[in-house]
Amino acid sequence: MAQYEAVFDTLGLRDWCDAGTGEAPVSMAQLLAQAKGGGTEEAGSGLPFPSLDVLHEACPRIGQTRDLTEGLEQGFLSIRSELKFVLDPITQPLSWMLDGTLFVFESAPWWVMIPALLLVSWLVSRSRSVTGFVAFVLLFFAFIDHYEVAMQTLAIVFVCTGISVLLGVPIGIGMSKSDTAQRSIVPLLDLLQTLPTFVYLIPLIFLFSVTESKLYGIAIILYAIVPVIRLTDLGIRLVDKDVIEAADAFGLTSRQKLARVELPLALPNIMAGVNQTIMMSLAMVVIASLVSAPGLGVLVLRGIRSLDLGVGIVAGLGIVLLAVVLDRVSKAALARVDTQRNTK
Amino acid sequence: MSGQPKVSIRGLYKIFGPDDRAMVPHVQGGMDKATLLDRHGHVLGLQDINVDMQPGEITVIMGLSGSGKSTLIRHLNRLIEPSAGEILVDGTDVMALGDRDLRRLRQKQMSMVFQKFALLPHKTVLENAALPLSVQGADAQTQDREARKWLARVGLDGFEDRYPAQLSGGMQQRVGIARALTANTDIMLMDEAFSALDPLIRTDMQNLLLELQKELQKTIIFITHDLDEALKLADHLVILKDGAVVQQGEPQGILLAPCDPYIEDFVSDINRARVLRVRSVMGPVTDDTFDGDVEAASNLEDLIALSDGDTNHCYRVLEDGAVVGQLDMKDLVKALVPRISGGS
Repeated sequence: MAQYEAVFDTLGLRDWCDAGTGEAPVSMAQLLAQAKGGGTEEAGSGLPFPSLDVLHEACPRIGQTRDLTEGLEQGFLSIRSELKFVLDPITQPLSWMLDGTLFVFESAPWWVMIPALLLVSWLVSRSRSVTGFVAFVLLFFAFIDHYEVAMQTLAIVFVCTGISVLLGVPIGIGMSKSDTAQRSIVPLLDLLQTLPTFVYLIPLIFLFSVTESKLYGIAIILYAIVPVIRLTDLGIRLVDKDVIEAADAFGLTSRQKLARVELPLALPNIMAGVNQTIMMSLAMVVIASLVSAPGLGVLVLRGIRSLDLGVGIVAGLGIVLLAVVLDRVSKAALARVDTQRNTK
Repeated sequence: MSGQPKVSIRGLYKIFGPDDRAMVPHVQGGMDKATLLDRHGHVLGLQDINVDMQPGEITVIMGLSGSGKSTLIRHLNRLIEPSAGEILVDGTDVMALGDRDLRRLRQKQMSMVFQKFALLPHKTVLENAALPLSVQGADAQTQDREARKWLARVGLDGFEDRYPAQLSGGMQQRVGIARALTANTDIMLMDEAFSALDPLIRTDMQNLLLELQKELQKTIIFITHDLDEALKLADHLVILKDGAVVQQGEPQGILLAPCDPYIEDFVSDINRARVLRVRSVMGPVTDDTFDGDVEAASNLEDLIALSDGDTNHCYRVLEDGAVVGQLDMKDLVKALVPRISGGS
């Protein structure tokens, strides 16, 4: 299989190649074979162009693909303590907020918690049917003894959505004001949105201990912050150019313009972004339970681990129910904003 | 008529493109629009505009779409930056103003009315009308009083608490005018303010504007593509074509002596009897006997009705009670035909 040996010979690199023959780890093919549980197969995929592993065979000085992944890992580990030194204090408040909110949601008696939640949904939606629906769902959770875990999930979603909005709206505003910022942030958002959710967890686990709640907090926020940023940017960019021009013509400062014209007119879009952010943080809650996030996700995970079909399905449907509640409440708020200005 | 102009545009050029200033010498050297686009990829917007706008007059800038009239009006408050030239307001060069002074100019000296109204949809009519004062930081009481006063003046009392979307187009534009009046500026810029309204409402609004103008004596710069509207409102008429001034002056003068086939074309379509006034076609007093007296300000239609179509009549023309000239019906009939009257 050493088809490239001749190439190195003719290039006169043979001596250089043979100079260092360190013991390499395994080749990518061997790693994959290991994962499959089969025996070691002969390397080389048979493709007509060279791969790192094949070149390695011809010239040991050239690294294998495994060296690449190994190098990445070593690189990360070498800056880990510095990274931790910076990130740990910055993210510590997140742990406090999550733990605090979880504590409040768990320890507040139901006769405080349920009326408080109903009041919030009434204030946000101003809709009797939506509030009634929320009451029904909360009582249903209590009825099937899932009240406590549902509250835990809700606490996590509240904190993560809150922080996403707090960070996402200013970032979105910044993006809408500068094309350069938009060009550089959009690929990052694309990355965050497409990166498989488990992949976030890998570097986070290296950085923080699994028992810390900020670990899952960060994972959820990174995943859920994307829509609120995107839609804030879009919303502000879509504000009627004529109205912006009028604001300029009457001598508004850029801050006045933002507060009185751009943000209010972009509000429907921003709210749609918040709605999406809520949905995405709820979706992430199950994966977050892999790294000790409490709530309904734990039950789903248990269903998978010990093949408790019923437990998993009930908890899963519970998440759906929670999603419907949050969606209805936030959509009702959005509709309220919309009708206020478009009533004929 | 004479005296210092309120607003004065001197040698204004606007070229659209990345390197507009460098293109100015080409245009000054006589390069035309097509060549500039072809050879340098820049679009010629305005060239060598020189217009004086007298205080207390309505200056109408007329031209077809693409003639650069909306671009021109936006230079006055620098919503668009010129490529070359200067704009003097009360003798101060607007081009030399810094951000803060420019904002003050926009707040205190120039207000603007827009074709598409450009009201804030999330604010009530009252809040919209009070916008200029709230931007300037006036107290709530003053804002409320002034906004109500001007809303009532444009015929919108009782609508203060509605939202713009609840009003018809004509009423929305009344809010736009009230907003501009609340700013209490000497200069009002009106960018095709009535073009989006249907004909009957447009006539109403024109009358409203003339009525307000009689009372307030502001310096109004009005943009339109409609010659009838221009002739009705203008004290001073500027006709733009392809970014250059073709003719400017007193509207009756332009009507009687168009200096360009383009304007002749324009002028040929209108009802001259309604637009021309006795003052413009009368001659010096030579006769002794007259068939009656007419006011200098009445239009020819009135006179035709008065004479019952008899071309043998000759009338004495009075202005403020004094005799200022005489008008033979034969001259009147000649004035109705553009080509004959062109020479006189």
